Amino acid sequence: MKPILDVSELSTYFYTESGVVEALDGVSFDVRPGEPVGVVGESGCGKTVTGKSILRILDKNGSIVAGKIFYKGINLVDLPDLQMRKIRGKEISMIFQDPMTSLNPIFKVEDQMIEVIALHRKCKKDEAKQIAIDSLELVGIPEAEKRIIDYPHQFSGGMRQRILIARALALRPSLLIADEPTTALDVTIQAQVLEIIKEMQQRLGLAMMLITHNLGVVAEITKRVHIFYGGRVVESGATEDIFLDPKHPYTRALFDSIPSLEKDKTRLETIPGTVPRLINPPKGCRFHPRCKYATEVCSRVRPPEISFGKERRVACHHFEELDLHVDEELFVKQATVKEEV
Amino acid sequence: MKMVTTYEEYEAVDLFADWDAKTQPIINLINLRKWFPVSQQSVLFSRVVAQIKAVDGVKLFLNKGETLGLVGESGCGKSTTARVISKLEEPTEGSVYFKGIDVFQPMTREEELSIKRQLQMVFQDPYSSLNPRRMVLDLIKEPFDIHYPDMAYEEKESRVLEILAKVGLEDYHALRYPHEFSGGQRQRIGIARALAIHPEVILLDEPVSALDVSVQAQILNLLHDLQLDFNLTFMFIAHDLSVIKHVSDRVAVMYLGKIMEMTPTGDLFRKTAHPYSVSLLSAIPRPDPRIKMDRIILEGDVPSPINPPSGCPFHPRCYKAQEICNQKTPMLEEIEPDHYVSCHFPEI
Ligand SMILES: Nc1ncnc2c1ncn2[C@@H]1O[C@H](COP(=O)(O)OP(=O)(O)OP(=O)(O)O)[C@@H](O)[C@H]1O
Ligand SMILES: Nc1ncnc2c1ncn2[C@@H]1O[C@H](COP(=O)(O)OP(=O)(O)O)[C@@H](O)[C@H]1O
Ligand code: SF4
Ligand code: SF4
Ligand SMILES: [Mg+2]
Ligand SMILES: [Mg+2]
Repeated sequence: MKPILDVSELSTYFYTESGVVEALDGVSFDVRPGEPVGVVGESGCGKTVTGKSILRILDKNGSIVAGKIFYKGINLVDLPDLQMRKIRGKEISMIFQDPMTSLNPIFKVEDQMIEVIALHRKCKKDEAKQIAIDSLELVGIPEAEKRIIDYPHQFSGGMRQRILIARALALRPSLLIADEPTTALDVTIQAQVLEIIKEMQQRLGLAMMLITHNLGVVAEITKRVHIFYGGRVVESGATEDIFLDPKHPYTRALFDSIPSLEKDKTRLETIPGTVPRLINPPKGCRFHPRCKYATEVCSRVRPPEISFGKERRVACHHFEELDLHVDEELFVKQATVKEEV
Repeated sequence: MKMVTTYEEYEAVDLFADWDAKTQPIINLINLRKWFPVSQQSVLFSRVVAQIKAVDGVKLFLNKGETLGLVGESGCGKSTTARVISKLEEPTEGSVYFKGIDVFQPMTREEELSIKRQLQMVFQDPYSSLNPRRMVLDLIKEPFDIHYPDMAYEEKESRVLEILAKVGLEDYHALRYPHEFSGGQRQRIGIARALAIHPEVILLDEPVSALDVSVQAQILNLLHDLQLDFNLTFMFIAHDLSVIKHVSDRVAVMYLGKIMEMTPTGDLFRKTAHPYSVSLLSAIPRPDPRIKMDRIILEGDVPSPINPPSGCPFHPRCYKAQEICNQKTPMLEEIEPDHYVSCHFPEI
């Protein structure tokens, strides 16, 4: 299937007093129509910047310096502002990371929904309000008709997150970018919201880019996943394949470093050091200062993205030699790496 | 007054001779309540209009050398419990026993300091819990200044460097300020500070919640090593059950200011007894795409601690609730050895 979103070699930089932040450096990935895709990585690896680059809503000090973003075959990078405005919210919409700041506390919920709807649909306020109410009902806000005139603080965290989802879906976009939609929520509330997201995605046939660092959420919702590290994609593939058999040393280490309910109380694998700063990031492979398999070439040459299998892609000089394959049954246990490596 | 000059001599002062580590818990909370008054201000006076029942009858204990995990959703009273144990808050009702001594009974300054020395806390937020104007050296030296005022400066300094090395930081870090560190490093500083004067118990309030997973793993391993090295007792607060399972010997599950279930970690997962624990476990998304679970999705939100439900606080959301549940508050009872549950109809 042709992708609905095809991001190729995207680089986004921020210009700051302390230097140029190379937030995205040649990022390529795609999302197919109706497909839930995960974007995964630790703090600062460029997940949010990717979402904002696609919608071209970067902070003032940032800009796309290279690459293409094809949405339904149109390159968004050089689309005139006026046309871009028609895409935002209507074709592609985004749920932002922080539920507190993305709903304005001084406006009623209706004020924060109706205007955008009226603008895009070119309809009257009443009609727009009905669309908003329908959307709120869809995500399970009880008595939506009455509650639409309430202020955000009159709703709980989970309800606010539902309102954001309702707002994002009101115009029935084809692509939803959901940035950590459940991270701020408690697990029982997270379970409610994930259920809504899953249901909406399936019912509306949405293509979805789900940004998260929670591997449990990714496993539950997505079919494919792109693993980010330091402003680059290091590994892509079907969610099940990557979880069963991560190939990239970073993906491997990331999986081993999370305590899991299935694992017994053992020592966790750790990755030494911290995530890289993106001002003067490491040369070559950005993971090399923390990688236990790094060789001389890793510190010099950017690893090429090697494709294999159905839809797998790994950016590592050595992953084939490493043969990090793990036995199906044992995959939750420690992987043993061949001695000769 | 006797002049104490070395660190070891301080340690020799023992006020808890009667306490027996084998048979008695090191920390014991009995029906602990901490209510925060909500007041309405008017021009002339302010009056209390409600109470936030942050901690509402907590019973739990901590045995020497173990890690007790305290888990629950935000606002359920975990931090408040830890703050009362550390005497940062006065309880509204109930008692906190440390080595058999009620810490809120009148005591001498020496006794007070002795308890403080043995009981330290690491705070939830690695960003705001360290004074930004003080160098790491001073931050970690502070507990020595308080507890060992007569100790020579050189000794304090060398102990700071020693402890920095223990938590994986370098000598030169001592001369830096908190803002120069990453979240994980700041958490190491917080731990170093708590560890400096060799306490017996450390209350860890969400020590890894703000960290990236790769850094979280480093801190969890560090805590594990330190526990073995120093024979420490931990109360480990977290909302992530995978982390709790990883670190704890026993787990206490908290909901709306009360303990719902307290049991050895294995049993919490194998013999889950409380409906809230069952729901909590079932809500966690598992990092394995092959697991397809039939989730129990709880309806509604956690009720407000200002007006908690009558009877069992979980009853409005419980799949098992009966008539009696909204009338009679279940007590935390030992339903089998070392397995405490407060529910009228436990699952086992
Ligand atoms: N306005 C800005 N000015 C300078 N640097 C920025 C700006 N916005 C983002 N960055 C930098 O870009 C990089 C990627 O940031 P981004 O917000 O995409 O991270 P993220 O993957 O979403 O992380 P998190 O999981 O913490 O949300 C980081 O190094 C960040 O500091
Ligand atoms: N100093 C305080 N004044 C008033 N309310 C407080 C205070 N500290 C905590 N609370 C309230 O007590 C409840 C429990 O809080 P807390 O112990 O911090 O929960 P947790 O650590 O489990 O998230 C919350 O409703 C919180 O808002
Ligand atoms: S390219 Fe080298 S440094 Fe990078 S992940 Fe592969 S082995 Fe490690
Ligand atoms: S006491 Fe009743 S309401 Fe409470 S957990 Fe048990 S069954 Fe549910
Ligand atoms: Mg982000
Ligand atoms: Mg807390």
